[in-house]
Amino acid sequence: MPLETPARIVRELARHGYNAEREAVTLIAGAADPGTTLARAVERAGPDAFRVTAADVRAVLDGGPNATDAPVSDLTSTVESTTAEPSTAEPPAAEPTTTDGGATAERPADDSGSPTPHPSNSSGKPNDESPTEPETTAPETEGVWAGRNPDPSLRSFDVANDMTGQSTGTGEYGDFVKVFKDRYEKLSRQLRGRVNHRPAEAIQSMSGGSDAAMVGLVNDIRSTASGHWLVELEDTTGTFPCLVMKDREFASAVDELLLDECIAVEGTLADDAGIMFVDSMHSPDVPRTYKPNTADRHVQAALISDVHVGSQEFMTGAWQRFTSWLHTEEAEHVEYLLIAGDMVEGVGVYPNQDEELDIVDIYDQYEQFAEHLKEVPGDMEIVMIPGNHDAVRLAEPQPGFDEHLRDIMSVHDAHITSNPSTVTLEGVKVLMYHGVSLDEVIAELPAESASYDEPHKAMYQLLKKRHVAPQYGGHTRLAPEEKDYLVMEEVPDVFHTGHVHKLGWGKYHNVLAVNSGCWQAQTDFQKSVNIDPDAGYAPILDLDTLDMTVRKFS
Amino acid sequence: MHEDDERYFARIEDRLDEAFDLARAAKEQGRDPRPEVEIPVAKDMADRVENILEIPGVAERVRELEGEMSREEAALELVNDFVEGSVGDYDSRAGKVEGAVRTAVALLTEGVVAAPIEGIDRVEILENDDGTEFVNVYYAGPIRSAGGTAQALSVLVADFARSLLGIDEYKARDIETERYAEEVALYDKETGLQYSPKDKETKFIAEHMPIMLDGEATGDEEVSGFRDLERVDTNSARGGMCLVLAEGIALKAPKIQRYTRQLDEVDWPWLQDLIDGTYYDDGGEGEGESDGADADDADADGGGADDADDADDDSPEPPGPARVEPAAKYLRDLIAGRPVFGHPSESGGFRLRYGRSRNHGFATAGVHPATMHLVDDFLATGTQIKTERPGKAGGVIPVDSIEGPTVRLANGDVRRIDDPAEALEIRNGVEEILDLGEYLVNFGEFVENNHPLAPASYVYEWWVQEFESAGGPVQALEDDPGVDLEHPNPEKAFEWATEYDCHLHPDYTYVWHDISVAEFETLADAAASGRIAGVDEGRSSGPRTQSDEVESDGGMVVRPDAPDAADGVLELDRTPDLSRILERLLVEHTRTEETLRVPNWRLLVRSLGLSELLEREWTDLSPEAREWEGGDNAVKAVNEVAPFDVRERAPTRIGNRMGRPEKSESRDLSPAVHTLFPITEMGGNQRDVGEAARARNDRGQRGKLDVLVGDRACPDCGQHTYKNRCPDCEVHTEPHFECEDCGTVIEPDESGRVYCERCEREVESVDWFTVDLATELRSALESVGERESSYPILKGVKGLTSANKTPEPIEKGVLRAKHGVSSFKDGTVRYDMTDLPVTSVRPAELDVTVDHFRELGYETDIDGEPLRFDDQLVELKVQDVVLSDGAAEHMLKTADFVDDLLTKFYGLEPFYQVEERDELIGELVFGMAPHTSAAVVGRVVGFTSAAVGYAHPYFHAAKRRNCDGDEDCVMLLMDGLLNFSKEYLPDKRGGQMDAPLVMSSRIDPSEIDDEAHNMDIVRRYPESFYEASLRMADPGEVEDDIKLGEDTLGTDEEYRGFEHTHDTSDIALGPDLSAYKTLGSMMDKMDAQLELARKLRAVDETDVAERVIEYHFLPDLIGNLRAFSRQQTRCLDCGEKYRRMPLTGDCRECGGRVNLTVHRGSVNKYMDTAIQVAEEFGCRDYTKQRLEVLEKSLESVFENDKNKASKLGDFM
Repeated sequence: MPLETPARIVRELARHGYNAEREAVTLIAGAADPGTTLARAVERAGPDAFRVTAADVRAVLDGGPNATDAPVSDLTSTVESTTAEPSTAEPPAAEPTTTDGGATAERPADDSGSPTPHPSNSSGKPNDESPTEPETTAPETEGVWAGRNPDPSLRSFDVANDMTGQSTGTGEYGDFVKVFKDRYEKLSRQLRGRVNHRPAEAIQSMSGGSDAAMVGLVNDIRSTASGHWLVELEDTTGTFPCLVMKDREFASAVDELLLDECIAVEGTLADDAGIMFVDSMHSPDVPRTYKPNTADRHVQAALISDVHVGSQEFMTGAWQRFTSWLHTEEAEHVEYLLIAGDMVEGVGVYPNQDEELDIVDIYDQYEQFAEHLKEVPGDMEIVMIPGNHDAVRLAEPQPGFDEHLRDIMSVHDAHITSNPSTVTLEGVKVLMYHGVSLDEVIAELPAESASYDEPHKAMYQLLKKRHVAPQYGGHTRLAPEEKDYLVMEEVPDVFHTGHVHKLGWGKYHNVLAVNSGCWQAQTDFQKSVNIDPDAGYAPILDLDTLDMTVRKFS
Repeated sequence: MHEDDERYFARIEDRLDEAFDLARAAKEQGRDPRPEVEIPVAKDMADRVENILEIPGVAERVRELEGEMSREEAALELVNDFVEGSVGDYDSRAGKVEGAVRTAVALLTEGVVAAPIEGIDRVEILENDDGTEFVNVYYAGPIRSAGGTAQALSVLVADFARSLLGIDEYKARDIETERYAEEVALYDKETGLQYSPKDKETKFIAEHMPIMLDGEATGDEEVSGFRDLERVDTNSARGGMCLVLAEGIALKAPKIQRYTRQLDEVDWPWLQDLIDGTYYDDGGEGEGESDGADADDADADGGGADDADDADDDSPEPPGPARVEPAAKYLRDLIAGRPVFGHPSESGGFRLRYGRSRNHGFATAGVHPATMHLVDDFLATGTQIKTERPGKAGGVIPVDSIEGPTVRLANGDVRRIDDPAEALEIRNGVEEILDLGEYLVNFGEFVENNHPLAPASYVYEWWVQEFESAGGPVQALEDDPGVDLEHPNPEKAFEWATEYDCHLHPDYTYVWHDISVAEFETLADAAASGRIAGVDEGRSSGPRTQSDEVESDGGMVVRPDAPDAADGVLELDRTPDLSRILERLLVEHTRTEETLRVPNWRLLVRSLGLSELLEREWTDLSPEAREWEGGDNAVKAVNEVAPFDVRERAPTRIGNRMGRPEKSESRDLSPAVHTLFPITEMGGNQRDVGEAARARNDRGQRGKLDVLVGDRACPDCGQHTYKNRCPDCEVHTEPHFECEDCGTVIEPDESGRVYCERCEREVESVDWFTVDLATELRSALESVGERESSYPILKGVKGLTSANKTPEPIEKGVLRAKHGVSSFKDGTVRYDMTDLPVTSVRPAELDVTVDHFRELGYETDIDGEPLRFDDQLVELKVQDVVLSDGAAEHMLKTADFVDDLLTKFYGLEPFYQVEERDELIGELVFGMAPHTSAAVVGRVVGFTSAAVGYAHPYFHAAKRRNCDGDEDCVMLLMDGLLNFSKEYLPDKRGGQMDAPLVMSSRIDPSEIDDEAHNMDIVRRYPESFYEASLRMADPGEVEDDIKLGEDTLGTDEEYRGFEHTHDTSDIALGPDLSAYKTLGSMMDKMDAQLELARKLRAVDETDVAERVIEYHFLPDLIGNLRAFSRQQTRCLDCGEKYRRMPLTGDCRECGGRVNLTVHRGSVNKYMDTAIQVAEEFGCRDYTKQRLEVLEKSLESVFENDKNKASKLGDFM
């Protein structure tokens, strides 16, 4: 394999088990015989090293037969690489698909009043010009792109809500009660300012006809024989039934209620004081005027999820085109990679899964994933949370990977945090959540509020409820901890999920909701239930503007 | 019909009439919900159909039609009557279709099952998008009990009615078609279908279906794609609809086609495409068809037999004998504690022998009692096994006229064990079970399952026919007291094999096909260098002689042909290889430090091509013998070098595993109920009526309960009460229906519906009553002359679930409690037993005397000899049943209860007056199976220590049971007549199932499930049958040579002449209870299961461990962990349930302590064991890793990261 492009060099290094400094790659690329240079540099770095440094390469170049070669002189070999390109087995990001890419990127991502100024100002053009190589290898004419050269000192990075190693629940009844109490306290705080909350106990003793307001968790939703809605709310003192008449303009909002979310209602008590007629209903919600934070410089983050390494359907080619692209000039500002769960296909996720696995051993799956991660430029900051296919408990919140798995995935010193977590990248708060609850939101709510084709709309619902998985007792599993880690206490600037393998994004009250696609082609199971996954896409987010571009690599 | 059959039925009916007279007298007193006996007698199927459907006139019409045409045709013919209105009183078109469909299903299920009433909810007429009308049939889950054919035909009938009424076809919307496909797949995944149509197939059916199939939601899982459709009112799978579409239409298409062709009005041309599988876009390759044919054994590569034949002819595979394909499906869903007895077709597993023992019928498997003991008692009479072939499952029956198992003892001796007593003696010393012995399957089983015959074992009954055909003087030898034809000595066997053109006697035919040609040569070499040692030398003469005797005579002491002691033993130098070879051949031998000693060696060395002086008489084998079955089968080699020919001794091995254990126990609700009287929560968890009568209610009153019961009115004084009899006038009261809205009093219409026309609503009689329980209980005790101390506890129910909520008189409960019996939901006392068939019995084995039998009307034994001795074999009559010991005891208690009830409650004469269980003989019982609604009258003739209910196979079939481990119940006749009431049945889907809505007083063999007709009833199978088995012929080819039950249907012989090929000395041999029931914890059972797996040569213990983890432990762990993280909670004090933990932490109802319903302990109970088993048995890494991931999950959920159990390292 010719080793002239940085991407190839990095991949080759990865194959040897090394990562490399930016400069080292550039130096190797410029060498007269990159293959030999690389081999020697690797040799010099030694088996214990994790990354090949520029010093290693220089030592090779200076001391060895290649020493005379200056980087610039190697015009021929790079040109060759371009021409040789089509004949190689796996052309990197070259061929991606103008047409498809355009279509997907331009999918209308707006709706229901949420203003979506953009998305993708560069939409429709991912890679459409030409193979990326020419850009990287057009050095002879003008300003040579010297390869990625980010300045780590400009970055700022912080993780909040990580409960890895902090799991204190022991599965007692009291733990569960604590979680729900915590949920109620945090979310009711958001609503207290809007209504004059009276405890259920107090309302129970109020006289008929009086005005009342209550903040509570939805305990039960029933329709009455005459088509009205009976919503039972619960607070820490008891429950109270609230009736939403079917002809009220907000009656349709009842369709969007999920059990155990927190809402506030205002209304009048019936004559016998046994029930409240609701006049208005509020969710914690994101303020319409919310002003998201942005980064101070032009820097980008790739938001992906559901890699599913180990599956027979894992799209190695698409993935490698993606990682190759990250080495190109076009991607030079992509300094962060956020992966929202399902690194691997896992074991025992569904019956007879072993028959459909490419890699049956779970640890080998993670090893292989780590190999694929090595293809990512070494200078990028990587954040990973687990998903339902990962070897972590299924119940949410899911703590980050254990020590054993961390050791396997130690490349890049990736940040491993729990699901969900909020990572702050240069001021931009990104809430990462794998997205298991989306299935339930989509199943429970009317199709116009949430569907698999528009997963971001389901995310809007979660933003509105300020909770990533409100409904208890159904699809989503809950592990009780000392507090409810699933509440969105603060409004995120970006909400990033995966899980449903569909691509969708849009803005809700200025918060960008992104459900990234996956890197797994359609499985037999998906075929049987009519799910057509969006595989091989990488949404790229501008942290300074919160504009997003989707790139297609499949 | 024979005269004595006529007499037999008359006797039963006389006793029935006697019981009815008394029961009527009791019921007329009006103390029960209705003043008449509520189980009508049906003389025939037409009666049953009418009684179940409650449509007058149906029976008469069915009888008219039955003479002229088949039942299916009659069902279609009846559609005309319904449409014209000559049968059934329906005004609406939907009603007419509904009546016709229900009747069709009832007819096709012989009027026994509840499907016609419970499985079809309603029929509607709806509108297509083009404005035309179509018919919608709304199915429910219980349609399952109708079976595929009746389900499919119900659709056809609906379509026929539709066309006669001039209603248009259903035009499915595209989304509806898609929905059908998704939904059927979902149902298949969730519940499982016998046949899983592919999506394309489902859509094809949906597109062409002329009526709409709809139904009730049956599952919790919802479809994800095609939701919220306008004409489908649920997003869950509609189980009834899925069954009808997949197991009905898709699977039975050829059967429906037969009827569509007869009908001008109905045209389903698409059925042909469905059958051919040509609904695929590309024209198809008939895939659908082959799938349909193999639905039953999807695992096998195609049809098994045919394929194997073809393969031999066409491929370069080395030539070999015909063999059935191993099929592993029976190993699916293996459960911890239920052992595997043999892997598919594995050597060392059960050897297929053909024949029908007298306790053999449909879906039963004959096993030697010694085997039952040697598999550590896991098999007992009645234990269900899942089997490789010919069917899927069967009930185990003991047969001791077949060969027993062969074992290697700890001292190295290899012995065949043919005596159960010996099996028990040596059981602890068994190191390996080399062979499980023979496995008796009757020919009819292959017919019923339409399974190609599998190559037969070479056995005496085949050999003797061959010998006779070859000119052997069989008759003369049989009469010769000096010769034992069945177990000859070696000289005789050699003489017959060489002088006649006949194969070597099976006693001396070893399992040559289980060793390779190389091993054959090794053995021949070893034998050639062996020596003959005198019997008197050496220490092992004693036991050896004993084993000789046991080996072939099954326990008899005198044996004229016993091998001459002077024969000595063949002594071979012991090597591990040689031991293994002899073990595989099943050659009995003993072992010393240096040698292997084989008694009875003469024909063994002859088979090896050696002379009696151990001189080798051959040099080399032909290439053909060498290559036979790839060199893995030494049969050809033997035939080449031996002076006689041998057949394959046991070419078909049958793998199986334990299914359900046998059952014999009383049916109790949980908690048990003595009286169907509501006592709310006042009785505590025990539902103790006494406690409720003493407790104080909310208002502080003692013993006063507010309960929801049916309001009834006295016809004389008009007083309102919940009681069946007016306390003042002592006359029967009737339910009182008063419209809640307008106050009008309404009478139920003919169909029993109560509907207020003015307010357009259903009206109920249920109302709140305040019951003074203390007084009621006291007066009930007084009226039957009992005290509270007469019984340990009297249990009631929390509330009533029936439509009118009619409570039972407390008196009945008092007497039940006194006699220690409890009531089922319908008021009857029941006892459950596993069904097993038996066609001939000995009075002695039933613990009765020949006098009893003569009193019952039996006069002769099976050979026509007069009945004189207790051990004569007698052919059982069709409605005679044998009770298990437990059932007999329970029936005695019930009889005492009934007598008390008659005398003390109704003030009548007692009916039973039994002291000893002998006195139950001749009494009548009801037999009734779950999911059915018709009881069959049976007569008790004896008792068995096995935990099963033995009865004539036709009796079981009349209840629509086969005997593959199914269980059903018996009730005492008078108990049913007095205490059953439809008023008690729950008012919900399936409530009418399992209730005796009608009874059959006599069995008509033509009106029972026809699988029972496929039982063979001959004394021996012809030689040609055995030969056909070697060709793996279709069972149909030899059907004419073997008489089946169906051959005598409709003749005078239909009730008699059920002959058998094999006897068994007792129908209750082997352990009385399976070890599965006697072992305590699940862990004990599993340990025993794995221990047995190690002992059995035919079982791969790693695979067993793997499967137990995969199918039992992992699903349990995963399921419980899931349940934990989405569980409900419950108040420990008042029992109130909460979907989610209350924010208050305490119970909102009573302020009590609330707790979880799924705890850590129940989630991880199998974790450590599973990991340990995976380690110990070397399971796959994949399995181990799944456990590892789960273990970490459990730890993560249940352990505090900051407070982990400290390890030693923490202190170092």
